[in-house]
Amino acid sequence: MNVVFAVKQYISKMIEDSGPGMKVLLMDKETTGIVSMVYTQSEILQKEVYLFERIDSQNREIMKHLKAICFLRPTKENVDYLIQELRRPKYSIYFIYFSNVISKSDVKSLAEADEQEVVAEVQEFYGDYIAVNPHLFSLNILGCCQGRNWDPTQLSRTTQGLTALLLSLKKCPMIRYQLSSEAAKRLAECVKQVITKEYELFEFRRTEVPPLLLILDRCDDAITPLLNQWTYQAMVHELLGINNSRIDLSRVPGISKDLREVVLSAENDEFYANNMYLNFAEIGSNIKNLMEDFQKKKPKEQQKLESIADMKAFVENYPQFKKMSGTVSKHVTVVGELSRLVSERNLLEVSEVEQELACQNDHSSALQNVKRLLQNPKVTELDAARIVMLYALHYERHSSNSLPGLIMDLRNKGVSEKYRKLVSAVVEYGGKRVRGSDLFSPKDAVAITKQFLKGLKGVENVYTQHQPFLHETLDHLIKGKLKENLYPYLGPSTLRDRPQDIIVFVIGGATYEEALTVYNLNRTTPGVRIVLGGTTVHNTKSFLEEVLASGLHSRSRESSQATSRTASRR
Amino acid sequence: MWEPQELGTVRSHLSDFKKHRAARIDHYVVEVNKLIIRLEKLTAFDRANTESVKIRAIEKAVVPWVNDQDVPFCPDCGNKFSIRNRRHHCRLCGSIMCKKCMELISLPLANKLTSASKDSLSTFTSPSQSPNSVHGSRRGSISSMSSVSSVLDEKDDDRIRCCTHCKDTLLKREQQIDEKEHTPDIVKLYEKLRICMEKADQKAPEYIRIAASLNAGETTYSLEHANDLRLEVQKVYELIDALSKKILTLDLNQDPPPHPNTLRLQRMIRYSATLFVQEKLLGLMSLPTKEQFEELKKKRKQDLEQKRTIERQAALESRRGLEERQSGLASRAANGEVTSLRRGSAPLRKAEGWLPLSEGQGQSEDPDPLLQQIHNITSFIRQAKAAGRTDEVRTLQENLRQLQDEYDQQQTEKAIELSRRQAEEEDLQREQLQMLCQREWEREQELFRVASLHTRTRSLDFREVAPFQLEPSRGPRTHLAYALDLGSSPVQGSSAPETPTPGLAPAPIHMWSGPPALGQELLPQSTMSQQSDISSLNPFDEEDLSSPTEEGAASPALEAFLGPPAAVPREYNPFEEDAEEEEAALGVRNPFTDPDSPAPNPFDEDDQPQPRPLSPPAPGNPFEECICTNPFEVDSDSGTEAEEHIEEDLLLQQIDNIKAYIFDAKQCGRLDEVEVLTENLRELKCTLAKQKGGS
Repeated sequence: MNVVFAVKQYISKMIEDSGPGMKVLLMDKETTGIVSMVYTQSEILQKEVYLFERIDSQNREIMKHLKAICFLRPTKENVDYLIQELRRPKYSIYFIYFSNVISKSDVKSLAEADEQEVVAEVQEFYGDYIAVNPHLFSLNILGCCQGRNWDPTQLSRTTQGLTALLLSLKKCPMIRYQLSSEAAKRLAECVKQVITKEYELFEFRRTEVPPLLLILDRCDDAITPLLNQWTYQAMVHELLGINNSRIDLSRVPGISKDLREVVLSAENDEFYANNMYLNFAEIGSNIKNLMEDFQKKKPKEQQKLESIADMKAFVENYPQFKKMSGTVSKHVTVVGELSRLVSERNLLEVSEVEQELACQNDHSSALQNVKRLLQNPKVTELDAARIVMLYALHYERHSSNSLPGLIMDLRNKGVSEKYRKLVSAVVEYGGKRVRGSDLFSPKDAVAITKQFLKGLKGVENVYTQHQPFLHETLDHLIKGKLKENLYPYLGPSTLRDRPQDIIVFVIGGATYEEALTVYNLNRTTPGVRIVLGGTTVHNTKSFLEEVLASGLHSRSRESSQATSRTASRR
Repeated sequence: MWEPQELGTVRSHLSDFKKHRAARIDHYVVEVNKLIIRLEKLTAFDRANTESVKIRAIEKAVVPWVNDQDVPFCPDCGNKFSIRNRRHHCRLCGSIMCKKCMELISLPLANKLTSASKDSLSTFTSPSQSPNSVHGSRRGSISSMSSVSSVLDEKDDDRIRCCTHCKDTLLKREQQIDEKEHTPDIVKLYEKLRICMEKADQKAPEYIRIAASLNAGETTYSLEHANDLRLEVQKVYELIDALSKKILTLDLNQDPPPHPNTLRLQRMIRYSATLFVQEKLLGLMSLPTKEQFEELKKKRKQDLEQKRTIERQAALESRRGLEERQSGLASRAANGEVTSLRRGSAPLRKAEGWLPLSEGQGQSEDPDPLLQQIHNITSFIRQAKAAGRTDEVRTLQENLRQLQDEYDQQQTEKAIELSRRQAEEEDLQREQLQMLCQREWEREQELFRVASLHTRTRSLDFREVAPFQLEPSRGPRTHLAYALDLGSSPVQGSSAPETPTPGLAPAPIHMWSGPPALGQELLPQSTMSQQSDISSLNPFDEEDLSSPTEEGAASPALEAFLGPPAAVPREYNPFEEDAEEEEAALGVRNPFTDPDSPAPNPFDEDDQPQPRPLSPPAPGNPFEECICTNPFEVDSDSGTEAEEHIEEDLLLQQIDNIKAYIFDAKQCGRLDEVEVLTENLRELKCTLAKQKGGS
């Protein structure tokens, strides 16, 4: 269950099947992203793929000495473009791969366009999702819901993405969903429908324990995407933003030209692969080691290359040196920028308060801390707003809730209206009424004891106390204790044994903190393999945009919607 | 953490697609062919010298012309036809259009189209065409009167009128024809580039392995060979660099400049070639100089000896237990013989003194697990080699070497122990021997031992000798050193077991000759000796300085064992299925059709009218024909020798040809040609005479 490998295998197969010769890869906007996540340019160049073209690009020249590999989503526009392409072929031969199920009628109209017999292959290769990490995938959809219900186009895209994932991993799962979310139920039904319709595709060798697909909704845990992160990958995403493995560093002061945009990919960056799940302090020391290692190998300026042997040695070490220097300068820049932002935005202090708000139940101390931070001029608008949001989510029903006062404080601090409105929107999005389970107060005796002990011992790291709610859900699921009244099965059959292969999908987007949780669960629970997916992978900013897009920010509309929702549920 | 994962689900729509396309294509092909056949008919006669009325008649016979009255407006532009805006007929489909919408097809284009499709398409659809044209001629005659007026002022003798649709279809067809015939420069260069890259991919790992071995002070490969190989590999990289540079600058100064995508393609190819060269070339480690190499060798020898003495001491203690177990085994009836023989042989070998490094190396005939392992690996190497996976072969060879080191050491220790105890034990052993040994069996044992001894010698000798003797040619040596490395190891392994199982036996033989049948019933040692004895097919034999005597010793024994008739028919096998490299090795290394050798060389019968060249490297090389295809042959001395002889043949042939041409030219009265040809002939004769004088 390695999603990166699954997609990579598909792409490799396409390239292999087209045989030797110069090739061009013809893609659409989305498949370009999909391919770029699993292959680097130099890697794909070695396979004789020299050009990358968009099917919708008009400025393509006729190059009959090239073979074309088309990897496209089966959308109407793409089929139309392809028909045009085949009527007047620009390349000698076409290998066509659709990333999902394509209708028979589309195949027919393509066949009729191929009068010059240039098509050598038409296949469905189900690489229809963005493989972020081996156990994390995304669909890059921001704003999947309108109110509490699916945006229909996004629902169909999500269904396609999720079924493609199942097909690429060859899993025909049982489905469970979060009862409190209408969207989760709807998606579960859609997936089930596709599985039923395309039953031939989903005929896999039966495993002893069938795989499980668990569909969750972001609104059940709005806390996680609001927290500042301290592990490398999550932190980079939170503070700089990762978009298809790319990081935009152009706003970093004094950045050099070739570091404007860097790629962080665990597939071909060893340092990143080893450090993406480590926390900031460890990365600091690792990057120091990396630097020292590099300094040793670096040819000293003053050390002249005197003998031929010197030169030889230098030339022989140069490629490694150059590669290493690329890695070093990239990570040094990124980590440097992270630490600059941490101190500039006073993030240590902010994070401490966030963690307290997320993990502890002491209202008065929390309120005091929030108020203190709001007075701090170094705390940015976003950080101030998120602290208030966390407070609002946690102490929503608290007897001495002083949210209005905090919002006043926000206004006094000069926080824009957008953010102030978002506070209520977030509460509406993920507040107590919406949540199917309790985020903050532990329910069972074990958890209570745990928290008590934690309080006694003190925490190891104040900045990483928080465990995403997903951890508890998955833990229960693995142990077979996940309540069926909260997470029912779709259909009559239920799973008797403990699940082995689990696919979790979060409507409204997953986070890198959750990815870390899944990574750790995979490592520590033998026999269990979990893949996490989401409509997107959020940081706080994108999460707030998601909330904004769902249109839950105005109080007046919200109440009417809330009533209609409760009504519909009954 | 991630278990192996198979390729995800796929679904093909190709058959569906092809079904729909076939229906469509049939229609399209018929349309195109129809047009081309008509075009052919229209151009079949001499248009310039035919009256226009006649032309018109022919044209109307080809396709029915649409009746003028039926078409009041131009179907393409919608203009009304009148006296001024007159009707024009498409000669290919018979439809009507106005002058503005009319297209013309020039005769050269028509010829191009018809000649290209003559072979393939026209034959395919012409039968379906005939009824159409018959029908057409009748209809045409009816409408001919009404368009007589338009005939008068048309003087398009060298062009054929047609409508836009027909012209479109034909132009598309022309494009297809062009593409089929035209290979752009970039493709030619690119193909060359890929060939070079493949070559580099083959050679570089080999070089790295050899260089690593040399740098470690091992003597498995020769330094000169490695140097040559390095040069060769570097040349390939230079070629890649040059080719990719050429691709980069292709058409760069053309006007108009090429499309940006073409430039991008060229840049990308160059970039990937640069990456390739950077990655591979700069990874090539350097070689030690001669002096350094000597030092390295010395150092390694010292290291090895040091290690060995240390281990020997340690092992002396620990071996006692094993020794006791072995003597326990020895007292048992079956195994007793084995051990006794082995023990008896130890001092003998010492006395012979041809194992300089260790006095009792590889003597144990026990079914040792190490031996088992060595065998397995040998056969793995063979399989990997057959599958062409050089990486694996390399790792396996490394493995094999380690195992052999280990085994040798173990054997050394055993031998020391044994020789120490031998005196006390000998009496006891003798008794047992007499009681249990049958004479026949004993003789066989003796044979095996002798055979194994001498193969061993050779294999060892080769490590030292072979590479240095092969200097003149570069290419084959690559393979040779390779073969030596592979070859010597299995011999060590295979010579050891007393009673090889059929499964084990073929393994070493395959290394040399290929046919599995060969080793099936034979014991490996005897097969080896047999091969070398008869025609020295085994490349190891030629260099073996001491081989005559040893072979002499081995072969009678063999004959006694096998019987001579068995040997002769078998000879052919190895060569018939021989691997290319071996042929190369043989060809170059002079498969010593030893004049003294009593064995008949089966290859003498090859038609080889030319006297054998005098130069020793290729006397009577019977493989010339196969070798010519071998790319390495070009480099070797014997190759050029051989080429000259072939050339002589060619010369004669060429002279005959030219004579025939001259005759032909004279007949046709093309005097200038005759002159050129005579000149040619004279040159050829000169060359021939020179060559004859030279040889």
